[in-house]
Amino acid sequence: MASVRFENISKVFDKNVTAVAEFDLEIRDKEFVVLVGPSGCGKSTTLRMIAGLERPTSGKLYIGDTLVNDVAPKDRDIAMVFQNYALYPHMTVYENIAYGLRLRKFPKRVIDEKVREAARSLDITELLDRKPKALSGGQRQRVAIGRAIVREPKVFLMDEPLSNLDAKLRNQMRAEILTLRKRIDTTFVYVTHDQTEAMTLGDRIVIMKDGFIQQVGTPREVFAHPANQFVGGFIGTPQMNFFQGKLLKENGRFWAQVGTYQVQLSDEKQERLFAADVQPQQVTVGVRPEHLQLAKAGIPAELGVREMMGSSVHLHLTAMEQDVVAVVSGMDDSGHFMNDIPASGQVFLAFHGNAVHLFDPASENNLEWPSKQRKVDSENFMEETVLPD
Amino acid sequence: MKRTKALVRKCFLTFVSALFAISFLMPTVLTISNSFMTQAEIKANYGSVFAAAEAGKTYISESVNLKFIPDKVSLSQYITTFIKSPEYLLKFWNSVILVVPIVLLQVSVAAVASYGFSRWRGKVRDSIFFFYVILMLMPYQVTLVPNYLVSDWLGLLNTRWAIIFPGAFAPFSVFLLTKFMRRIPVSQIEAAKLDGSSEWQIFTRIYLPQCRSALYSIAILVFIDYWNMVEQPLILLNDTELQPLSVYLSSINAGEIGLAFAVATIYMIPSLLLFLHGEEYLVEGIAQSGSVKG
Repeated sequence: MASVRFENISKVFDKNVTAVAEFDLEIRDKEFVVLVGPSGCGKSTTLRMIAGLERPTSGKLYIGDTLVNDVAPKDRDIAMVFQNYALYPHMTVYENIAYGLRLRKFPKRVIDEKVREAARSLDITELLDRKPKALSGGQRQRVAIGRAIVREPKVFLMDEPLSNLDAKLRNQMRAEILTLRKRIDTTFVYVTHDQTEAMTLGDRIVIMKDGFIQQVGTPREVFAHPANQFVGGFIGTPQMNFFQGKLLKENGRFWAQVGTYQVQLSDEKQERLFAADVQPQQVTVGVRPEHLQLAKAGIPAELGVREMMGSSVHLHLTAMEQDVVAVVSGMDDSGHFMNDIPASGQVFLAFHGNAVHLFDPASENNLEWPSKQRKVDSENFMEETVLPD
Repeated sequence: MKRTKALVRKCFLTFVSALFAISFLMPTVLTISNSFMTQAEIKANYGSVFAAAEAGKTYISESVNLKFIPDKVSLSQYITTFIKSPEYLLKFWNSVILVVPIVLLQVSVAAVASYGFSRWRGKVRDSIFFFYVILMLMPYQVTLVPNYLVSDWLGLLNTRWAIIFPGAFAPFSVFLLTKFMRRIPVSQIEAAKLDGSSEWQIFTRIYLPQCRSALYSIAILVFIDYWNMVEQPLILLNDTELQPLSVYLSSINAGEIGLAFAVATIYMIPSLLLFLHGEEYLVEGIAQSGSVKG
C-alpha cells in the first residue's frame, strides 16, 4: 500500500507529441482514483508512467516516498490489469497467476496457497487447468485480476479493464471490482473512457483532455460543479445542454438569461459568483437534461423525437436553433406510465436557479470557480451541493 | 440440369487434380518400388537407357521400361547398401553432420535475431531487417561467388564450416520468425515485465514457448532445404570424402542404378519422418507467419 505523487510530470513522444503536460496529483494511500477522458487525452500514458512502462520526459514521480522515475517496472511492486488482459497463451490459468510469484522465488507451497486463494475469491478454481483461449472474456478478465492480486502489490493499476466486455458483463464486473476493492484495500488507479465507470468506481475522478488535468474531484463534485465546459459535457449521460445566454445582475442578485427566459440563481451560486468577483457578461449556460423541465412558459422548443427508456423519457428537441435533450420522468410515484408527455409540437423548457452552470464563452471555465483555483483539486473548494428536486 | 453441370465440373476437376497428383507422385513411387527389385530386373528394365548414355549419345532411350511392381520383392539392394557399399552410408553420415548443425545453429541464431527485430523497432533495425529480406530474395547462385571468396578468405574452403557457417546465418528463418514474433502483443511483454521478468526470461519463457510451432516449421524447412543441397558442397567442398549423399546420388553410374533407388529411399526417410511428425506445426507455423517460402 502506498501513495502515488506526480510532481509536474510531462510526457512528450517523438520530441513533438505531448501526451501528458504539467501533471500534478497526489493519489492517497488506499484511494481509488479513476483517470477518465476521451481517446488520446493521456490517461493511459499516465498509468503507464506509474507502471514504469513509460518514462516521464520531465517532472518527478513518487510511489510512497520513493522517487521512481528510473526504477524498473519489476522493482516498483505494482500490478496491472491490461485492456486485452495480456494473459500468457501458452500457460494454464494456474501458471498465469503463479508466474509473478515464481519469478520472485516464493516457495512452491506458498505459491499454491496464494493461487488457490485468489482463484477461490474470483470463482475461477475450476478453470485453473485451462489455457486462456478456452476461457470467455469475463473469465479471462478474472484471471488477469487474479494474476494482479496474488502479488499483493502496493498499487493496483487497471487500464480500461472492462472495455472488451459486453454491456451486461461490464455491469457485473464493475460491481465485482467494487467488492474486490473493499476486500484487498490497496491503492487503485483505474483508467477508463467510460464516465459511468468513473462515477461508480472512483473515490476521486481525474478528468483529462489533451494531456492536461481538467478537474480532480469526487464523483459528486465533478457532476455538480464541473470546472469547465468540457467537464460539464463529459460527465453525465445524456450530456449537458449548452445555451448562449447572459449573466445579469439586478438589485444585487444574479440572474441567468437564455433567450427571453430568466431565472434567478440560487443563494449558493450567488455567493460563489460574488466571491469570484464575476461581473454581468455573456455566458454559456449549461443545464443537464434531467434538470430541464417541461413548463407552461420558458424557452420555446420544438419536440422532435421521444425515446421511451423505461422509467424515464428522453425528449430530443430543437431550442435556440440547436439540439437539446431533456430527460423527464416517465412514471408517476405509483409506478404508472405518465400519459401527458407530448410526442411532438411546441413545448417550453424551464430550469431551476441551482441547476444552472455558467461558463465563460472565451475560456470555457466555470465562472463560479475562483480563477486561481482552476485546474486544481476541487475538493477543498466545493462543498457538496444538494441538487434541486 | 444445374446439378448435372456441377457434377460434370466436379468430375473434371477431380480428374485433372488426380492427373497432377499422379505425375508428381510417380517418381517417388517409382524410386521406392524399384528399390525392392533385384539388380537383374532393374538392368532388364533400364539397362538400355544407361547403355545409350555410356555410348555418349542420348540419355533417354526409347526402350526404357517403367515398371512399378517388382516381379519378386527383394531386399538385395538394401543389403548391398548396408553391408557391401559402406561408401553410401559414409555419405549419408556426411549429410547428417552437415545438416544437423546447420539446423540447430540457424534456428538458434534466428530465434535471437528475430527477438531483437520484433522487440525493438527503429530506423536502423528496420533497415537491417529490410537488408535481410533483400538477401532472402536473392537466389543462391547470385551470392555464390561472394560466398566462395569469403570462405576462401576465412580459410574455410574444403571444410564443412564453409557450408555450416553461412547456413547458420541464413536470412530466411530470421524473416519468418520475426514475422511470427511480431504477432505477440506488446502488452504480454509489459505484463511479464511487471511480473518481474528479465529480458532473458521474456525471451525464454514468453516468446520461445509461443513460437514453438514456428521454430519447428523453420527447422523442418531448413532441414529439407539443406538435406537436398547440391550446389554448395559441389563448389565449396572439393574433397569428395566430405561431400554429402545429395551430391553423390547424382553421380550414380549404370552399374549401380539399383543401389541408387535403395539409397534414395533411405535418403528420403529423415525428411519424411520429420515432416510427418511436425506436419501440424509446419502448417500452423507457416500460416501464422503469413509467409510461404518460394
